[in-house]
Amino acid sequence: MSRRSALAGLGAAGLLLLSGCGGAPTSGPAPGADQPTAAEAVYAEVGALTGSARHDRLVELAAQEGNTLSVYTSLNADIADIVVPQFEQATGVQVNLYRADSETVLQRTLQEASAGFAGADVVETNATQMAIIAAQGLTGDYEGEQRNKINEQFRYDGWTPTRFNIFAPAWNTNLVRPDLVPHRWEDLADPKYDGILSLEVSDYDWYMTLYTHFRQQGMPDADIDRLFADMVKGSKVAKGHSGQVELLSAGEFGVVAASYTYLTDKARTSGAPVDDQPFVEPVVARANGGGLLRSSKHPATAMLFMDWMLKDGQQVVLDNGLTPAVMPDGTDPLAGHQVLPVDVQQLINEGNDWSARYDEVVRGGEQLPEK
Amino acid sequence: MATLTTRMRQPGALARWREVILRPRTLVAVAITIVVGYLALIPLVYLLWTTFSDAQGFSLGGFARAYGDARIGELVGNSLWFAAGAALLSLAVGTALAYFNVRTDVPFKALFFAASIIPLIIPGILYTIAWIFLASPTIGLLNSLLEPVFGPGTFDVFTVWGMIWVEGLHLSPIAFLFMVAAFRSTDPSLEESSLMSGATRVQTFRRVTLPLVRPALLSAALIMGVRSLESFEVPALLGLQNGIYVFTSRIYQVLRSFPVDFAGAGALAVGLLAVAALGIWLSNVLSRGHATGTITGKGFRPRPIDLGRWKPVVGSGILLYFFVTVLAPLMVLLYTALLPYYRPPSAEAFASMNLDNFVAVFNLPSVPTALRNSLLLGGGAATIVMALMAVAAWVVVRSGIPGRQILDHIAFSPLVIPGLVLGVGIAFVYLRSPLPIYGTLVILLIAYCTRYLPYGMRYAVTGMQTISAELEESAQVSGAGWWATFRRVLLPLIAPALLAGWVYIFVVSFRELSSSILLYTPGNEVLSISIWELYANARFGELSALGVIMVLILAVLVAVAYKVGARVGLKS
Repeated sequence: MSRRSALAGLGAAGLLLLSGCGGAPTSGPAPGADQPTAAEAVYAEVGALTGSARHDRLVELAAQEGNTLSVYTSLNADIADIVVPQFEQATGVQVNLYRADSETVLQRTLQEASAGFAGADVVETNATQMAIIAAQGLTGDYEGEQRNKINEQFRYDGWTPTRFNIFAPAWNTNLVRPDLVPHRWEDLADPKYDGILSLEVSDYDWYMTLYTHFRQQGMPDADIDRLFADMVKGSKVAKGHSGQVELLSAGEFGVVAASYTYLTDKARTSGAPVDDQPFVEPVVARANGGGLLRSSKHPATAMLFMDWMLKDGQQVVLDNGLTPAVMPDGTDPLAGHQVLPVDVQQLINEGNDWSARYDEVVRGGEQLPEK
Repeated sequence: MATLTTRMRQPGALARWREVILRPRTLVAVAITIVVGYLALIPLVYLLWTTFSDAQGFSLGGFARAYGDARIGELVGNSLWFAAGAALLSLAVGTALAYFNVRTDVPFKALFFAASIIPLIIPGILYTIAWIFLASPTIGLLNSLLEPVFGPGTFDVFTVWGMIWVEGLHLSPIAFLFMVAAFRSTDPSLEESSLMSGATRVQTFRRVTLPLVRPALLSAALIMGVRSLESFEVPALLGLQNGIYVFTSRIYQVLRSFPVDFAGAGALAVGLLAVAALGIWLSNVLSRGHATGTITGKGFRPRPIDLGRWKPVVGSGILLYFFVTVLAPLMVLLYTALLPYYRPPSAEAFASMNLDNFVAVFNLPSVPTALRNSLLLGGGAATIVMALMAVAAWVVVRSGIPGRQILDHIAFSPLVIPGLVLGVGIAFVYLRSPLPIYGTLVILLIAYCTRYLPYGMRYAVTGMQTISAELEESAQVSGAGWWATFRRVLLPLIAPALLAGWVYIFVVSFRELSSSILLYTPGNEVLSISIWELYANARFGELSALGVIMVLILAVLVAVAYKVGARVGLKS
C-alpha cells in the first residue's frame, strides 16, 4: 500500500507541478504584464473624456459588455448592501459582489491573476492591499474629474481612494470622567490610563504613522519607545476593532487608543455610551480605494462604477457614517483637521519590520532593538 | 489476514498476485487511497511547497523566521499547556458524561443530547464572547454575582486557565460523542464479571471499563489535543489581551503581514504537523496489541448500572454541566440578541429589550441562500466523508495491507493546515484545472471534505477498532464476499460511530470560515460568511440572534438525524 500511497501522492503533486510555475506558488507575476490589454485601451479612451460625453460613452460601452460587473471588496456589508443596489438602480448594471476581509480580497486577486483568471473587474479594499495590487501591475490607469478633487496626499498610482478610515481614541462616557478625556496622543501614555486603555493587536500602520510623526517632530527614538511602552503598560490588547468597540461599550475598557471613527460613531448611534469628540489631533487617516483591473472583461462598466462611486456613491458613504474621499459638494472631508496619512509605500517597504516592532511593543513594552 | 500474507509469499504465484490485486477489496482499498490522497495531499503539498521554497528555489528561510524568534519557547510552551489542558478537561468531562449516559441509570438523560450538541453549534467566536460576558474580571456576570462574597474579579477568563476552560468545555461534546460510541460498543458482561468477582465499581471502571475503551480514549485524546492546538478563536480573543501567544494566533499574525510570509506560516504549521504525527504514532503504539475488538460474536446486551445513592450527586453534576456549557452561554446569547447593544443586566437594560435583532437577521438578503447552501454543504460533506472513511478505516484497521498506516497519516494532515492555506491551495489547483469547479459550490464541498477528513477518520477508525475480527471471519467462512461482509456485518456495527462523525461534521461545517471566505462566489454564500459579516460589522446583537436561530435549526435537524440513525442502526 505504501507504494500506492506514494503513487497517489506523486499524482497529486504532479498535478500541482504541471499546473503551476517554477518558484514559490505565491509569487507569480501577472501574465503579459508589459502588454497593454483591451481593458486598458478603454480606460485610456474614456479617461480623456469628461462630463456627459464620458458618461454617455460609458453607458453605451457598458451595454455592449452586457451590463454586468464583478466587484471584489472589503467594504462592510451594511454599507455595500446600500451602495451596490443604488448603483444598480442608477445604471441598470447587475453587480456580482464578492466580500471578504482585505487580506482575503488580496489573496484571491493575486491567486486569480497568477492563474490568468479574470475574476474581478473592480477591486475595492484597504490602502495597503490596493497598493500591492497596483504594484503588481494588475490595475490600469483611471483618470477623471472626481479623482482630481481628492486630497493630494492621497492620490495614488493605479488606484483611487473611495473613503477614509480615521483612527482616533474613543472612550466610554460612563467610565471616563471629563478630566480623563485624552486631547493628545501623548496623553495615552499617562499612568492614569493604566488598566482602562485598550490597544488593537494589528494596528501597526497606526503605530508606524504616529512613530514617524513623532520622529519628524524631532523626538528621539528612545523617547518615542518609552511613550509607546508607557501606553502599553497596564493596557489590554484586543483583536479586531469591531469587537474592541463592543467591549468598550460594555465597559470592559475605558479608552480605546485607536478606534475607527465610523465604528465608534455606529456604537454611539445605537445608544452605547461611547464618544470620540473632539478628535485627538492630528488624526491618522488611511485610505480605502478602488482600482480597475487590466484583465477586466467589462472595463467600461468598471469605469462607470468608479465614476459613480466617486460621485453619487460618496453621498451614500457619508450618509452611512463613513468618511468619503470627496465630499458630495466636491470639497475635502479632512479639511480643518491636521491629517497624518498612513504612508502606503512605507507600509509596503517596511511593513513587516513595523509589524514585528509593534508586536514586540504590545507584548509588554520592552526596550526595542535599535533599527 | 495471515492467509493473505502467506499466499503472497509463495514463490511463482504471479497469477495469484493478479488475483489478489484484482479482488474487489484490494481495488476498493486502492480507490479509497487515491481519493483520500487526492483530497488531503493537495493542501499538504501546497503547504510544504510554499514552506520550503522561495523565489529562488529550495529554502529554509521560513523556519529561520518562524523559529528564530526569541519568544518561540514561550509560544510552544503556551501552546502545549493550553492544548494539553483543554484536551484533558474535555476528555475527563466527555468521558464521564458518556459513561453515565450509556452505562448507568443516571437521571436527566434527555439533557445529554442538548449538552452534547449545542456547544458545537454555537460558533467559536460567539461561545468565547459569551464567556467574556460571563467571566471577564471587569464586566463578567458571574463575577458581579460573586462579588459580594469573594470580592471583585473572582474569575479571570483572560488567562491560560480561562482559555483551557472555554476551549475544554467547547470541545467536551466531541469527546462525549466519541466516547458514547465507544461505550455503546463495549461488552458490559466483562464489567459484570468484574463486579461479581468482588471488584468495586471504581475498580471495575478503572481496570475493566477504561482499558476496554482505550483505543477510543486515545483517539479522542489525539483529536482533542490537536484540535486545541489548531483552535483559533479562543487564543485570539482571550489570550492576546494579556500577550499570551500560541501557534495559531502567531500564524494568523504572520498571514496578515505583507508580503504574506507563507513560508513562515507554513513552518509553524509544519511544526504543528510534526506534533500531530507524533501524536498519531503514540496513539497507535499505545493501542497496539491491546484488547481491541470488544464487540464479539457472543451475547451482547448493555444493561445500565444502578447508581444507587450516588444518583442525586451525579444528577446534580449533570445539571451543573448542562448549566455551565449550554444554558449559561445560550442565555447570554439570547440576552445579547434582545438588547440594542450589550450592557450588564440592569432595569434599564431589560427595559430596552426588543426583537429588532431577530427581525434584522431575517431581513438580511443573503441569509436564506446561505442557510440553504450551508445545509447542502454540511449534509454533503458529512455524508461523503463518512462514506469514504468507513472504507478507509477498514483499510487502516483491518485490511492488513502493508503501509496502510500511511493512509491514516495522510487523512490526518488537513487538521493542522491553516484554513486560509488550505483554501489558497485548493484555489491554486482548481484555478488551473480544466474542470469548471472554481467559483461553484463544488469547490466549497471539496474544501469541507478535505477539512473534515481527519475527524471522519478518527470516528470511523475508533468504531472499527472496537469490532472483533471474528465476526468478519465468520461471515467470510459462511461464504459472504468482501462487499457483503462489509455492508451487512461491519457497517451496521460501526453505525453509531459513523453517525456520531456525521453529526459532528454536519454541525461544525456550519462554522467553517477561513477556507469558505476565500472560495465562495456571489450566490454561493454560506452561513459562516454571514456570521463573519455580522462580526466584522460589530453587529453583536444580530450575531447573537443568528446564533440562537442556528442553535434551534441545527438542534432540530440533529435530533431528526439521530431518530433516523437509531432506526437504521442495529443497537436498540
